[in-house]
Amino acid sequence: MHVMFSKAVTEGGLVVGGLRRRAELQDYALDSALSWSRSGWWGGRVGFRVTMSKRKMTDAHLSVEECVTQVQEILRERFCRQQLPDRLEGLEAQHKHLLELLRRTAVHGESNSVLIVGPRGAGKTMLLKCVLRDLLEEKEVQKNLLQVHLNGLLQTDDRIALKEITRQLHLENVVGDKVFGSFAENLAFLLEALKKGDRSSSRPVLFVLDEFDLFAHHKNQTLLYNLFDVSQSAQAPVAVVGLTCRLDVLELLEKRVKSRFSHRQIHLLSGTTFPQFLQRVRMQLSLPDDFPDKEFARDWNTGTLCENKSVEEALQRHFNSSKDFRSMNALLMFCLSRVSATKPAVRPADLLEASRLCFCDAKANMLHGLSILELCLIIAMKHLNDVYEGEPFNLQMVHNEFKKFLQRKSNSMYNFEQPVIMKAFEHLQQLELIRPVDGSSAKTQKEYQLMRLMLDHSQIMEALQKYPQCPTDVKQWAMSAFG
Amino acid sequence: TFSLTPLRKAHRGPVAQDPAVVLNKLSISDSPPPSRDHSSRAEVDNENSPMLPVAMTPRSSKRKSAQLVSSRIRKQLNLLDNQQDLNSDGEDEDEFVPSKKEMQSSSEDDDGEEEAELHSDEEVVLKKGRRAAAGSRTPRSRQKTQSSTRTPRKTPNKKVKVRQPENSTSHRVLFFSPLLSEQITPSTPRTPRGATPSIPCRSLPARQPANVLEEARTRLHVSSVPESLPCREQEFQDIYSFVESKIMDGTGGCMYISGVPGTGKTATVHEVMRCLQHAADVDEIPPFHFIEINGMKMTDPHQAYVQIQQKLTGQKATADHAAALLEKRFSNPAPRKETTVLLVDELDLLWTRKQNVMYNLFDWPTRRHARLVVLTIANTMDLPERIMINRVASRLGLTRMSFQPYSFKQLQQIITSRLNKVKAFEEDALQLVSRKVAALSGDARRCLDICRRATEICEHSAAEPSATGLVGMSHVMEALNEMFSSAYTTAIKCASVQEQLFLRAVIAEFRRLGLEEATFQQVFVQHQALCRVEGLQPVSVSEGLAVCQRLGACRLLLLEPSRLGVLQRIRINVSQDDVLYSLKAD
Repeated sequence: MHVMFSKAVTEGGLVVGGLRRRAELQDYALDSALSWSRSGWWGGRVGFRVTMSKRKMTDAHLSVEECVTQVQEILRERFCRQQLPDRLEGLEAQHKHLLELLRRTAVHGESNSVLIVGPRGAGKTMLLKCVLRDLLEEKEVQKNLLQVHLNGLLQTDDRIALKEITRQLHLENVVGDKVFGSFAENLAFLLEALKKGDRSSSRPVLFVLDEFDLFAHHKNQTLLYNLFDVSQSAQAPVAVVGLTCRLDVLELLEKRVKSRFSHRQIHLLSGTTFPQFLQRVRMQLSLPDDFPDKEFARDWNTGTLCENKSVEEALQRHFNSSKDFRSMNALLMFCLSRVSATKPAVRPADLLEASRLCFCDAKANMLHGLSILELCLIIAMKHLNDVYEGEPFNLQMVHNEFKKFLQRKSNSMYNFEQPVIMKAFEHLQQLELIRPVDGSSAKTQKEYQLMRLMLDHSQIMEALQKYPQCPTDVKQWAMSAFG
Repeated sequence: TFSLTPLRKAHRGPVAQDPAVVLNKLSISDSPPPSRDHSSRAEVDNENSPMLPVAMTPRSSKRKSAQLVSSRIRKQLNLLDNQQDLNSDGEDEDEFVPSKKEMQSSSEDDDGEEEAELHSDEEVVLKKGRRAAAGSRTPRSRQKTQSSTRTPRKTPNKKVKVRQPENSTSHRVLFFSPLLSEQITPSTPRTPRGATPSIPCRSLPARQPANVLEEARTRLHVSSVPESLPCREQEFQDIYSFVESKIMDGTGGCMYISGVPGTGKTATVHEVMRCLQHAADVDEIPPFHFIEINGMKMTDPHQAYVQIQQKLTGQKATADHAAALLEKRFSNPAPRKETTVLLVDELDLLWTRKQNVMYNLFDWPTRRHARLVVLTIANTMDLPERIMINRVASRLGLTRMSFQPYSFKQLQQIITSRLNKVKAFEEDALQLVSRKVAALSGDARRCLDICRRATEICEHSAAEPSATGLVGMSHVMEALNEMFSSAYTTAIKCASVQEQLFLRAVIAEFRRLGLEEATFQQVFVQHQALCRVEGLQPVSVSEGLAVCQRLGACRLLLLEPSRLGVLQRIRINVSQDDVLYSLKAD
């Protein structure tokens, strides 16, 4: 183990962790038997808990395994569970606007409606959750606010949405988890309930509509009309918060619904620059101050992803592609999963590998798994596409093209029976590398059904380069201009 | 003589039925001699409501003393009535079990059959009502009724004879109540009986507005009910006189009100109703019943019947049944001769293929005794011409009114009157808002919302000592920009490098093709070329697709379903010039 650690250190660059201190090494010897039995961090968690509780009072230093397990736990929580940050970088104005708005609903009983608009992964939900967290810290709010959370992907029509609202509000037609009454009754019941309330006496209700644009596709937009109507009339105070990534969302609303909406929109369009992005990556990877082993944390924090040319390039490429939080977290997750007790650091190589995984082409990868025959058919299709300028083709044409190749220059391939070719063709269709043309009827015989190739030339060529033991004549055929 | 009137009324009660029914069900001897009526008009007024005093008729209501006396009588009679209601409740349920069962089964399999059933029930009810009414009030007539009970009827009638006399309305209600609850779609679990719709109360009281801006914000909220409705005086007057005249005459009618959203249609009608209600309370006009339905607040047009029925009588029924009950109610003399004013908001939502909901709504007011005034509201001016078939449009009639969008002066006046001397805005700021909104839509809601937002902006920027504390031009401008500016430009500016490149590639491909549409494959070639020009690493197809999808999710691009992969077609949702402008800016 000693050898391995020192090796890791001398490799330099991106080392996190650093040399082991003597005390820790002693500890390490103590439960080495346990450590050996651990292979991954999943296995390690159980053992860790035991030793952790045992040692907590005596020593703040942890063994490498324990540190790594701890790191994995903290960072995974951060990347996958979307743990809320303490403060929102670059979204302070939006945070304040939303917080004030919801506070007025909760404290003054003023009805409001607002839309939060931003591209996917821009932090819409995070903003809302942060605001709610901050809001609920106030006593006055905590006791008063009722919350209803809906999602357009789950509540696909008003009937389901109404049941869900009724259930979450615990109105009196709910017994246990079951909502009684028909759709019409539920609507009437809910509206009556809201109508009976008034500004000063009833508890304010917060409606959160995730994927707001999908609610606009419900029949007559009944739910939206009623929610917005309540928010604009002297009834129980409500705040309607919609989250959506569609910039044209207002155009989806019917005019009477639109008129009732207050037209407040909070846009999350961040002009993050690359330095800010780098900073954010570092923040995401760094360990918190309350990490049990202070020295490990310090080494990790100073060592993570420092100025390395190739790392920066990879990150720049990533930044160029997209600025959203989620894809960044996915990238870091790949890096993190390569951290282990034997390698307690995120090295540049890890990041490069992770970025390669993120950027690799899915379809080209699939081509690697095809048989030579299937690959030949794909090449034949590519030539057909070249010749006929993207017109659809059928199996017979592909087969003819393939036969021409065999006659002319093939020495490694021989002809296959028609059924074999057919089977290969069907397999390609199942993989969705080819798809039938829309209008073509299912009645036509399979051989004559018109198809289109769903691959780009660059993908085919890339796959051929990497295909293991690809016959040279096939390669040449693929590269030749015309079959 | 006044004290005699109710008695005479009671006498006359039995006669008042529809002549056909009377002849059918009642022996002639039952009805008092017609010579007793001094005028045929009186008969019409007093039909079927023995417990209602004369004061209800428009003519007598004008005399003060008559009003006093009759109101006292009315009160007493009402009291009596209620007691009887309570007494006979249980009894009623038992008695009609067989009939109820019958009804339920028939209503489920055949409409026509149900109709028939309803009719027979109707007869029973009418009979009961008559007999009861006659019996309860005057000993003389009770004897008569008793003698007349030998109508050719079966069991239920016999039972009726035993029962306590009651007034006709309560009869009807009681009779149908058990049956209705049974009828509501037996398969789904019903709302528990005792459930009251309500939102829990606050544990802490709501805070009151603390400063001028907060006060202004409260007043400017669309929900706050203003003391008066400025700028709609003419419309108010028209609607008021229309409804008032109908109530005074005891007739019915329809009115169609149109106007774009946020022009105060519903608010004006509500205001009219408040005023009329006030007038009725001080007995200037006869009392009336106001109910309101909204096409958007029901799940399907036929629910309109259910809601009207429930608001009229408090009873629940299925749509078909409610329709039948309402049909009966409006084709027979109204109970207590009260006019019903029905407001139908968002009328266009009540459209069905056969248009029978609309047809009925407009047909009922034309019935002789219905005393129903229907006010309908919708957004479009030519709705009757566009969606109604002739017989519906013709019944709606030509009483129409359209609310014009507010002009900037009116909007300004609305804000000023709402603020009501709370000094929170600079004059110029108000004018800017109202001019802007008037130019765009004339929607008062929008105007109020902008003002409200402006107060918030002002409050947050109030840290600057220079500010006077009033909402100024700059705040209003900021609010206007927030609400009306499109986010596309900012979105393109904030997009990632590859996304911007892709947009450029799309435009380049459009130019090359001379079309406004291209497949991903074609655009991708351009994208690769642009990458090389910009000195960036070329992207893979998967990544290119991901970029394309992200732009599609924001609706900067319009895409076909993503399963088409490289074959999907692409369009731009913004004008090309806008895209180029926003890309150039940085």
